[in-house]
Amino acid sequence: MSFPAIHLSGITKSYSHLAEKKNGDDIPDIEVLKGITLDIGQGEFIALQGTSGSGKSTLLHIIGLLDRPTAGVYEVLGQDTSILDDDRQSDLRNQSLGFIFQSFYLIPYATALENVILPGLYSGKPRSELQARAEFLLEQVGLSDRLDFKPSRLSGGQQQRVAMARALLNEPDIILADEPTGQLDSSTSSEIIKLFHVVHEMGRTIVLVTHDEEVASAADRIIKLHDGLIAEDILKG
Amino acid sequence: MIGPRLGSRIAGMGLGAIWAFKLRSFFVVLGVAFGIASLTLIVTAVDGANRKAMEMVEMFGPDAALVFGGNFMKRAVNMRTLTLSREDARRIKESLPGTYQVIPMRARGGQTIKAGNKNYQDVLIIGATANYAEAWNWPLVEGRDITDDDDELGAKVALLGDKPARELFGDESPVGRVIYITNIPFQVVGRLSYRGFSGGGGSDIDNRIIIPLSTLLQRYNLDRKYFRALRVKFHEPDYMDAHTDNLRSLLRHLHNLQPEEDDDFTILTADEILKFLAMFKGGLTIFLGVTATIALLVGGFVLANLFSISVSERAEEIGLKKALGAHNSAILFQFLVEACALTLLGGVLGLFLGLGLGQFLSRLDILVIQFSWKAFFMALAGSQAVGLIFGLKPAKLAADLDPIQALRGEG
Repeated sequence: MSFPAIHLSGITKSYSHLAEKKNGDDIPDIEVLKGITLDIGQGEFIALQGTSGSGKSTLLHIIGLLDRPTAGVYEVLGQDTSILDDDRQSDLRNQSLGFIFQSFYLIPYATALENVILPGLYSGKPRSELQARAEFLLEQVGLSDRLDFKPSRLSGGQQQRVAMARALLNEPDIILADEPTGQLDSSTSSEIIKLFHVVHEMGRTIVLVTHDEEVASAADRIIKLHDGLIAEDILKG
Repeated sequence: MIGPRLGSRIAGMGLGAIWAFKLRSFFVVLGVAFGIASLTLIVTAVDGANRKAMEMVEMFGPDAALVFGGNFMKRAVNMRTLTLSREDARRIKESLPGTYQVIPMRARGGQTIKAGNKNYQDVLIIGATANYAEAWNWPLVEGRDITDDDDELGAKVALLGDKPARELFGDESPVGRVIYITNIPFQVVGRLSYRGFSGGGGSDIDNRIIIPLSTLLQRYNLDRKYFRALRVKFHEPDYMDAHTDNLRSLLRHLHNLQPEEDDDFTILTADEILKFLAMFKGGLTIFLGVTATIALLVGGFVLANLFSISVSERAEEIGLKKALGAHNSAILFQFLVEACALTLLGGVLGLFLGLGLGQFLSRLDILVIQFSWKAFFMALAGSQAVGLIFGLKPAKLAADLDPIQALRGEG
């Protein structure tokens, strides 16, 4: 496998202010990303840092195929994403990308097990296989006694662990995490970071957005964004 | 495309959401149920009206006409209603082509009859000439019809309808027994079969006794020349239009009516009855149809509104599912499944609600209802149409959500 997990070249993203432009004023588009060129190798653990407004969330959304760049080339696992239609992008999200969010986003009326199975339901794998895999993953994150619990009966740390199990269900190559410890206290967040290490050791590529230095220090490589450009790219020895 | 496995999984998610959002589900089901209930009521009521119309026509006979004295359509003040004479009847029988029965009739309502120690009040007594039962296509269960001899002799014989026969004699045969009509003894010679047709408003067609016309006229001291109605039966019902035209011409001639004068009689045929019923039914259909449409629309708007709110409330769920790889079509399908499952439930509930209401109204003699599979299928089809039409917009709204905005909860 010679291609990088993620290849970004000259990625820009602008938002136009259509509403204000109606008045005839020439308000320039807001450019959130101003040309990001970046290769992330397979198996790398990256922390994406930056102040708010630096464009780190936008970049993560583009990497996660939730948003399209205004210009530039984005290849994920050697696949040029610009030629993919919405459904193919959905399939790629389903098969190759795993998302972990700051506020967990578990479905409140479904059990922990059902939440973990969810991405598998869209994949077409047989139910028995999904069930076994979900139970295995929940055991790995230490929740084998909470399979039938609804999210409201789980603590924040437990909810995030369910979300991590869900992200791993379809065995994606890349895990994308957006402030995964943002709503957790420090002891819970260090448990979550430990899990990220485990996931990393399994050979997965991880891109983690955080503003927490301690969390960032868990990564092999720290990329700092400033004003829509890469300001620093620190590879730890 | 959504295959069967993915389809059933998404449907499962939809059913889960229906259970999870119980209040929304409850209101949608209720809203749709009212609409479907009205639809069911209208379909069964129109079918009931149809059946009743067919029964009436069947009973009346497609080969018969009923002539009344007086003009129903242009009822002038003081117009005579006793315009049909025995002479008219004789002439029609002799000279109108195609006729084979002409039976003049008069009636006295509200008579009290007696048999043994039993009294029965408020019976309609009809005086008719021979072959009354045959003329009305009304089979006898036992005994015989009125004959020419009975009428010529003014015999005190009676043909009992089902109601007085049961009231006076129960399960026993009335034939050969004696009844007293206002203290005059009559011998029962026959019994008409049960027709079980109520004309609405409590009048019962089986509540009648037929005696020879001449007997009625003598006993009640009625005018001997004129009678109230005339039953005419024709060969070849295919030519009913021509028969009625001939009958009208003949009667106008016999009554010496000038061309500018209106008829002083009214001819009723099965066709006329059908026309009248169609008019009545048309009114009923339009009224109930408009009501049912409005009720269905209200149900549809309730659904569309609650689902739009639901899409906003569940924006995070929708955004998440997209992030996890759900195609837009999968989101669309899930919301359509939710809408159609709820309207199906509402449809079934509405079907029973409508049938129950119909039963209730028919018990009260307000409506006649007739259940058919048509009502069943229309309820199901109607509910699914509401689900698809009014569920489509919110479902598209959900499918087209931008995943990033949706995850921020901005539905």
